[in-house]
Amino acid sequence: MANQAAGVIHDLGYRGYDGPRLGRAQIIRALTWHSFRSAFGIGRGVKGKIVPVLAFIAMCLPAFVNAFAVARGNARLFGYDVYVPTLRVALVTIFIAAQAPELVSRDLRSRVLPLYFCRPLRRGDYPLAKYLALIAALLILIEIPLLILYVGTIASAKGGGAVWDETRALIPGLGVGLMWAVLMAAIGLVLASLTGRRAYSTGIVAISCVLTFFLSLLLIQAEGGQDATATGARVAGLFSPFTILDGVRVWLGGNPHVGLVADPGRYGPLYGLVAVVLLAACLGGLAARYRKVSQS
Amino acid sequence: MQSIQALTVDPVKTGAVIETMALTKVYPGDVTALDGLTVSVAPGVTGLVGANGAGKSTLIKILLGLIPPTRGQAKVLGHDCQARGETIRTLLGYMPEHDCLPPDVTATEFVTHLGRISGLPPTVAKERAAESLRHVGLHEERYRLIGTYSTGMKQRVKLAQALVGAPRLLLLDEPTNGLDPAGRTAMLELISRIGTEFGISMVVASHLLGEIERICDHLVAIDSGRLLRADTITSFTQASQVLAVEVEEGLVQLRAELAARGLTATVQASTVQASTAQASTAQARTLLVPLGGDDTYDVVRDCVAALALPLCRLQQRRHQVEELFRDERDERHERHERDERDEEVARNG
Repeated sequence: MANQAAGVIHDLGYRGYDGPRLGRAQIIRALTWHSFRSAFGIGRGVKGKIVPVLAFIAMCLPAFVNAFAVARGNARLFGYDVYVPTLRVALVTIFIAAQAPELVSRDLRSRVLPLYFCRPLRRGDYPLAKYLALIAALLILIEIPLLILYVGTIASAKGGGAVWDETRALIPGLGVGLMWAVLMAAIGLVLASLTGRRAYSTGIVAISCVLTFFLSLLLIQAEGGQDATATGARVAGLFSPFTILDGVRVWLGGNPHVGLVADPGRYGPLYGLVAVVLLAACLGGLAARYRKVSQS
Repeated sequence: MQSIQALTVDPVKTGAVIETMALTKVYPGDVTALDGLTVSVAPGVTGLVGANGAGKSTLIKILLGLIPPTRGQAKVLGHDCQARGETIRTLLGYMPEHDCLPPDVTATEFVTHLGRISGLPPTVAKERAAESLRHVGLHEERYRLIGTYSTGMKQRVKLAQALVGAPRLLLLDEPTNGLDPAGRTAMLELISRIGTEFGISMVVASHLLGEIERICDHLVAIDSGRLLRADTITSFTQASQVLAVEVEEGLVQLRAELAARGLTATVQASTVQASTAQASTAQARTLLVPLGGDDTYDVVRDCVAALALPLCRLQQRRHQVEELFRDERDERHERHERDERDEEVARNG
């Protein structure tokens, strides 16, 4: 019976398609959307959702608690630009260590890339889509807690002036979050794309982030702590992406007494330069990696 | 060499799906994968045959615009591979030789996603993914994770993803790889159906001639990056597409009966004793009947039944093409050696 039914369906025959086709930009968008979903484990099994969802909840929890406290009449504890700095470092590390391999190593591992490159994509389009997707995912992870905190705070703010002040505090916070997403996504992807073995690429990403971060922290402490003004303390933050990002934040006018690094002072531009060079190196590496892969 | 050149330069340009002109690819380290390959492929099902390392995969990659040729030019459906790679890739479906499926998604999701990447709008991608999977024979299984599939099912998914983008030309690289004999037959039938019923031209790369000759209209044979021969399958096999009918006795009657029904059978020449035709006919037990189609089998069966002859073997002759290739390669080799000898003689003289 089942066979008969199948036979009947089969007799419908093959139909071609002459309708409109998506342009390259739309194809990139489709791939980005698909990758963005998989960054949160959507379209994967339950296992794929555990890490991103837990990281997201953990990131939002302080914002919820603080927003609740603000509603009870307390002050806002966390700054938007330095929202729970060490927790954020830990959670962003966990997130990209788990999800950057999900985006790139998986395709390398299952050798699915030739199926992408035999379609109307250009060589750079695949890593570009993956990069945009990871940036978007990191923005969700980093910015949503800030928005929760913001909404919770303005809900109990008295008067338009207070709302305006709050908004002015939020905007640089969102900017810092964007900076984090743009740089960390690039670092995560280029490291994860080194190997198709997921455990290895997770390890590479996690170890690179954690070790460099502790190296920088130790150097900062050794040179006199966050409030030190010695050159050593000022440049010690250059050894890890997180402290570089925080240095850039301070250089751009953020509060030097909170956060991860000692005030870079006149070395501020150096932080900016290193951040840009690091980003360019990662993106260049990613492009080179996929130029090679697409030909094999 | 001369004859090959003459054959291929011959402008069959009208409607050729693939044309290459003196296509050469030298990989770093002086590895020559393609060596001045000039060939023109007509619409229909074309077999691309050659041993491993003959340059089949390199040719396919150049056609897909994934790697640039070192020299020469390649055109697919009238578009230059280097300049119009993206356009070509919209028109092509490609089934790679190796495993290329992620285990942790369902076939439906995977093929739909690749349909999007082929440039299909969301709903069309969904419809076409379901259709392609159905065409390759995956029904309810398509909602299962690919990791749970058998090799045969995986090969079908690979074929479905090549079909999803509504290609005008399919490039299939070793589609029967890793399949058992039954799976091979099923896959070949499927490919043949796609070629004939769906009207999609395709190039099927394979190192197994016996398989490829069953489904192809044309054959392109390459060896160490050079064209060995390109022609229609019929002229390749010529009279070798035959059915061997072996009977224990009554060969002459059978021959007459077949002739009466319109089939001219020849007696298989005895390899041992070809001195007199009479003697060999008396001893021979095998008739070679030109294989026209499935009817031929019926006619032979009816004849044998009508005469009540003891039939011991009914076999479609394969590997004939293979022998043909071997001969040609040997000939070329010999000619090459002879040329060298002549040159040497000329030099010394």
